[in-house]
Amino acid sequence: MGLIAFYLKRLFTIFKGEVLVLPSRIALILFILVLLLIPVATYDPYLFRILTLASIFAILAASWDLLSGFTGQMNFGHALFFGVGAYTAALVNLHFHIPPWGSIPLGGLAAVLAGLVVGIPCLRLRGTYLALTTLAFPIILLGIVFAIPGITGGELGVSGLSRLTGSRVGDYYLTVVLMIGLCTIMWKITDSNTGIIFHAIREDEVAVRASGINTTRYKLLAFSLSGFFAGISGGLYAHFMRIAGPSNLEVSMSFTVVIWAIFGGVVTIYGPVGAVFILFPLLEFLRFWPEYRILMFALVILLILLYMPEGLFPWIRHKIETECPRCKIRNVATRKTCRVCMAELH
Amino acid sequence: MGQPFLEIKGLNKGFGGLTAVNNVGFTVARDEILGLIGPNGAGKTTILRLITAILKPDSGTIRFRGKDIVGLKAWDIVNQGIACTFQNMRPFRRLPIIANVMVSCLSPRAMKRGEWVKKVEAKAMDALEFAGISDMALEKASTLSQGDLKRLEVARAVATEPELLLLDEPFGGLSPAETDLMAKSVHRLHKGGRFGRLHSEGPAMIIVEHKLQQLMKIVDRIVVLNFGTIIADGTPEEVVKNREVIKAYLGGEGSEDAA
Repeated sequence: MGLIAFYLKRLFTIFKGEVLVLPSRIALILFILVLLLIPVATYDPYLFRILTLASIFAILAASWDLLSGFTGQMNFGHALFFGVGAYTAALVNLHFHIPPWGSIPLGGLAAVLAGLVVGIPCLRLRGTYLALTTLAFPIILLGIVFAIPGITGGELGVSGLSRLTGSRVGDYYLTVVLMIGLCTIMWKITDSNTGIIFHAIREDEVAVRASGINTTRYKLLAFSLSGFFAGISGGLYAHFMRIAGPSNLEVSMSFTVVIWAIFGGVVTIYGPVGAVFILFPLLEFLRFWPEYRILMFALVILLILLYMPEGLFPWIRHKIETECPRCKIRNVATRKTCRVCMAELH
Repeated sequence: MGQPFLEIKGLNKGFGGLTAVNNVGFTVARDEILGLIGPNGAGKTTILRLITAILKPDSGTIRFRGKDIVGLKAWDIVNQGIACTFQNMRPFRRLPIIANVMVSCLSPRAMKRGEWVKKVEAKAMDALEFAGISDMALEKASTLSQGDLKRLEVARAVATEPELLLLDEPFGGLSPAETDLMAKSVHRLHKGGRFGRLHSEGPAMIIVEHKLQQLMKIVDRIVVLNFGTIIADGTPEEVVKNREVIKAYLGGEGSEDAA
């Protein structure tokens, strides 16, 4: 017993020293706790549905950030990965009766292939040219989907898939836990040595090559990773909605992802995720005024970006936390001295 | 003497109608520091970029340790042991300085040579220590001054532990004191040895530079370019006496101060 008490005490010390010192970390822990505890407090199917979809789209928005925010490969056709994931999961589920735990990863793998198919021809392109080229890929796939209605169901899509888990709470927990897990993995990737190379490729690709790094390999890696996570999110969506349709591939889908990510703050991972959890429910909330729904939505985004060009969450973070000028550790804005090196903060 | 360390033969490169490099050929020995000088637009930087495959030559061969390296990718050339710095420094501005160097430390060559170093950061730190900017390791690269950016460029190149180092105007924009410091660093690097966890092979060097006084002190040999062609090749003493060099490089009667 003494040993367990010792470890619990140590865990609490770590928690106090590492999490409770920064408001952003407290907010993150609270956010996760609230998400996990909502089913205890309420059983509102509408709320579950919105939060489940928000979790699915959060994975998608974070995967866009991994490719376009971190690696700087501006992708305006992210719906391609989402659609490929959704259609693959739907088709293997329908025709080969593979259950969701098999079909969703298969959707992810198919999206990796899609990532390579887009990535290889786009290796030489940069900036706006890359953006325009990537924009074309989901449209091409949309054409193929319409061309072979025998397999893809044409405009009606592929419907009648098996349920994700069979219960609302089960669906909710599965997507939320997957969202937290996958976003943590993405954040860890961006925090690793590979992440540094992704950052550097965004800053100056020629200089990365001159440092001896095979940029082709790393760019394709970024496309594949981003495709994988987006494909998983597409597969989840298909099984949750029990349909994979052409709307998954539409241009508006690609741009919604970009809007989410830029609203929340690119190059952060947490920004796009948080943005989805604000904007997606907001769009639902504005349903009471259907004619002006999109207009109001656009106004909110415009106002936020006008005053917070870096995105909502980095802006808030700058307000509540300051970086120590000496050791670069973050501190609560109210502190006078750094919590680690005791340097003056202001 | 066997094969020269680096051998360039019949190198040509044109940009549209302009011939930037015209039938250039020279060699560099393993233990040599070669100065590459010439007026603006003579093709010095172009030659460095052709060696490092940032540009592709129209014709000609570049042999490094007897192997033709024309057609290799830029990163392959770095991993063969040729590192270069950029004249107009190209740091990753939004990354901390240490991360700038870590990118070089993550190249296959550096990783293979530093297998016993567990942390890439530690090796990057030693490269910064060598360049003399380790106290600013956590600052963003965009906050660096001109002189410190030059040192960052050198640190990035040194971190790959090259055997041939191409320095493009390492003294450009530096104060006299900083220039002396940089010249000493370059000299120390050329002698080889260990800098913390970093190992210097004592690289051969090609230095492109306009500050001739400092350059003369550290180089063994000088190649002079004008309009893309070599007009002189010899020891610093021979080159400064060469009439053609004085005419081309210093303009007319040599009214400008060469040193």
